[in-house]
Amino acid sequence: MSTFDIEFAAVTDIGKIREKNEDNVLISSDLGLGVVADGMGGHSAGEIASSIAVSVLAETIRKINTGALKIPDTFLPKLAPTERKLLMAANLSNAAIYSTAQSSDIYKMMGTTLTGVLFDKDCAIAVHVGDSRIYLYRDNKIIQITTDHSLAMEHVRRGLLSKADADKSKIQNVLTRAMGIKKNIEFDLLKFPIKAGDVLVLCSDGLYKGLTEQAIGEILNKEKDLPIVKLCKHLVRVSNERDGQDNISAVVIKILPPKKLSFAQRVRQIFSLHK
Amino acid sequence: MLDGQSLVGKEISGCEILTKVAEGGMGAVFKARHKALNRIVCVKILSPALANDKKAVTLFLTEARAIAELDHPNIVNVYNVGKEQGYYFIVMSFVEGQTLSAMLKKERVLPIGRVLDLFEGVLKGLSVAHEKGIIHRDIKPSNILITPQGQPKIVDFGIAKKVDKEKGSTKTTELAGTAYFIAPEQALGKDIDTRADLYSIGASMYYVLTGHFPYNGKNTIEIIQKHINEPVPNPSKLRSDLPGWLSLAIQKLMSKNPDERFQTAKETYMYFNKMRAEEQLRVKTMHGRAAIDLGIEGPLKIVQEEHHSTASIRQMNGTDALRALSQKQSKPAHRAPVQMPQLDEMGNEMDDNPPKSAPPLAPTQELVPEQKQQVEQKTVPSSTTALAAIQVKKHAKMLIQLCVLLPLFLVFAAVCSYIFFSLGKACSVYVEENAGFMANLLAPVFSGKFVEGQLLYSALSVAALTAIFSISSVKAYAKTTAIMLALAVAAYLAGLFTPDNPLFTFTHVGEYLFSPEYYLCYLLVAAAWVISLCWRLGRTWPERILGASLVILSVVLVYRATSLTIVPDISGMTVKLFFTGAFLFAILAIYYLAAKAEHSILLPSLCFLLSLGCFWTYNISGLASNIQTSFNTLTAAIPMGEPTEKQKKAMEQEEFLGISRPQLFSSFAATKAVNYMTPEEKYKTLDEAIVKYAGPFITPEQRPLFIYLLSNYYLDGPNKATFQIWDYALSYPLSNFNQNAQDNNAYSFMVLMLFIMAGFNCAGGILFKED
Repeated sequence: MSTFDIEFAAVTDIGKIREKNEDNVLISSDLGLGVVADGMGGHSAGEIASSIAVSVLAETIRKINTGALKIPDTFLPKLAPTERKLLMAANLSNAAIYSTAQSSDIYKMMGTTLTGVLFDKDCAIAVHVGDSRIYLYRDNKIIQITTDHSLAMEHVRRGLLSKADADKSKIQNVLTRAMGIKKNIEFDLLKFPIKAGDVLVLCSDGLYKGLTEQAIGEILNKEKDLPIVKLCKHLVRVSNERDGQDNISAVVIKILPPKKLSFAQRVRQIFSLHK
Repeated sequence: MLDGQSLVGKEISGCEILTKVAEGGMGAVFKARHKALNRIVCVKILSPALANDKKAVTLFLTEARAIAELDHPNIVNVYNVGKEQGYYFIVMSFVEGQTLSAMLKKERVLPIGRVLDLFEGVLKGLSVAHEKGIIHRDIKPSNILITPQGQPKIVDFGIAKKVDKEKGSTKTTELAGTAYFIAPEQALGKDIDTRADLYSIGASMYYVLTGHFPYNGKNTIEIIQKHINEPVPNPSKLRSDLPGWLSLAIQKLMSKNPDERFQTAKETYMYFNKMRAEEQLRVKTMHGRAAIDLGIEGPLKIVQEEHHSTASIRQMNGTDALRALSQKQSKPAHRAPVQMPQLDEMGNEMDDNPPKSAPPLAPTQELVPEQKQQVEQKTVPSSTTALAAIQVKKHAKMLIQLCVLLPLFLVFAAVCSYIFFSLGKACSVYVEENAGFMANLLAPVFSGKFVEGQLLYSALSVAALTAIFSISSVKAYAKTTAIMLALAVAAYLAGLFTPDNPLFTFTHVGEYLFSPEYYLCYLLVAAAWVISLCWRLGRTWPERILGASLVILSVVLVYRATSLTIVPDISGMTVKLFFTGAFLFAILAIYYLAAKAEHSILLPSLCFLLSLGCFWTYNISGLASNIQTSFNTLTAAIPMGEPTEKQKKAMEQEEFLGISRPQLFSSFAATKAVNYMTPEEKYKTLDEAIVKYAGPFITPEQRPLFIYLLSNYYLDGPNKATFQIWDYALSYPLSNFNQNAQDNNAYSFMVLMLFIMAGFNCAGGILFKED
């Protein structure tokens, strides 16, 4: 659990032309978790993949928290407990999608992106696969902290394409990594300290196709005092107006100053050996 | 569903499905018999997963129709296309034979002349398709079928491939084209034209002639990026008998810029033909001395280059990644990958030999399993030993923690207590011994009795301690503990320093360390520590063991600190054992529960209180019965005379009336004389009586208690006395504790400091943010 008070909001929209919404979002202030998953695959497989992704992830974290599930000692023992928890959950989530995909021909091609943030004390830990993104807004500046796992971005990383070209590229939709297409996949794990006043935006590709990084930053800047749920809806609406070719999902997370502690927590703190 | 069993035997578009030939992500290919023509055909069926994808379906059908228009011996013929029984299908001619990649695998070395013949056919077929504006997009050896007659046929004309990459299109993990043979512009997602196929022809020729892919890498992305970025390799480096013109032609085909390639398939095969003719001519003009005969097999030079199967690459990267993972990064950073991705993992249909695996050359084929074995042998034991090492390390760490923490804590507690005691003494050394704690503490500030300079030191000590705790309270027991200790030592030295005997306190350390007043100090620290451990969430095992040890230590210290002056009933050994056992069990239970119930401190607290109750009961029951026995003996021994006549009459009256209060009345009468005495006289009389009648039973220390009890007995009767005995016994541990504590400045000082600390901590928690 975080030492900060954290507000979560999530919105998902089908967009203008799609027949179904393959995105799935999940927020849980209990767990300190926000997730966006963007499914892919024919039939309704995309929706299924993304919903398995978010639900298994959240459920696993809950189980680990309550002690119903134990992380094996051999599972990446060098990582911090929260990182292991998140990776374990992501791995189980991938395994669940993969096994579902293998169970039927209809689901064979399905897969999903997964981008989630779990808060721990004064840190946020992100797990990331695919082309959904996390933006961090701090001190009136916005940065994208995840790297898209698309072929276009791979080229950008190597300097073979410019960022601007990549955004228009035809291979932007070719993912180099996705959940559910393999038994074992690699995850990006990022850990970064958070500060009061930070805003995190987790979004599917639908959102950033309609809104550039700069545009999101401007909206966050302008609508600073808007309640977080309205802010989230506003982002999705604006993106939909400008593009709307794809499903649009956003999770907005606002870090507030530490909440007032309860009496018990305060007493515990007095006798605590913790820092 | 699309599996062999359900479709085999069915009829689609007049074709009876016989067997499944191949299956890929996009669909499956079946061998079928066209009933009307009685001819073996090939039926390709779009995966049901894509049947609802309108774009995929449109593409499947339009491309199939386009190819149906092509009628060329080097292109597989399409007879029919459409939808039946919910399946999208394409009926094509069935080509007996094998793919070029399969052939290469089998024959290992292909003569240059034969390769050129085959590619001439391929280029001719491609030329026809290009004229119709159809781009194949995925030319590779496994898409070239060789008939038993040696005729090449191009298959898989981009059919059922998710080629459309328009904006807003569906996400995919597959790129049209195969990494080893993809044109740079295709890999970059640019608009492609027919010249992209020529690049793939060049790359395929390179592979077929040399047995090596033009670019190789750890994963698909790396290979693709090499196509975009790296200079064109020279195939003649791998095959020395390759004519210079062919090497140059392949390199020209593989130019990054489409404008620098041959512009059409026709131009390419025309050039080949021209150069071959020239070559033949040159060979003939060399007067029979055949330098190069293109018809004769030239041996392939096998260059011992690193060749890894994808599996071994993945494993190696896994170990690399683990190594990278061990380097912990606190700043935002990407974790190194655990496994490398394979872009074209899903496989391509009609592709019984995907070229992404090891090149089909004999030495490498032998090499690959060997390497796999080596890697497995290396990585598997190393990973288990690494894990074992980690576990051993973990246990060792725990042991070290335990070995270091426990003595360290004891030393810490002793040092702290000593410092506090000395400080307390420094603050109260010149004030009234019998004054209360607060008076002692405040006196140094207000009293005039002090030696000059002492006041200043005491004030300094208090100020320093207050500062220390105000700092430490913001983060209780945190890093500031070290600073706190340092400052406390400084304060202690400041407070105790006297010019006459500067080393006094140091030379008398031993005397203080093991006295009851110190046990109280240790107890306080141990208790605080135990509570802190109990309140802490997510305790580790060493912490738990430490906690349990401290609980036991606390119990011992309680016993030592109270230093019972009247020993409880020792005759009831069974009782004692029972109570002790119960007590220890209760402690263990508390400890276990505290460890289990991380979030609820209520139950362990109750258990702890209960166990304290056990301890208490044990003490008081023994004590009360002991005193009662002694007291009964005493009252029986002390003669108080016969009742007077008047008293006897009163008793008779009472009996007659049925009101029986003999005890009250008799005691009233019997003690009348004592009750009229002044307190001093009474004390003296009773003291003498006790010495006279019960000297051997009652020690001088116990005498005041019995005098007190007797005076009550004579005043209020035996019931009152019994009540007082129990009252005394009940409060005994506490009163004794307090009695001990009263003279213990160190203890008092520490209690106060804990209060101050807690106060500051609360204030700090409210006022300051923790960052």
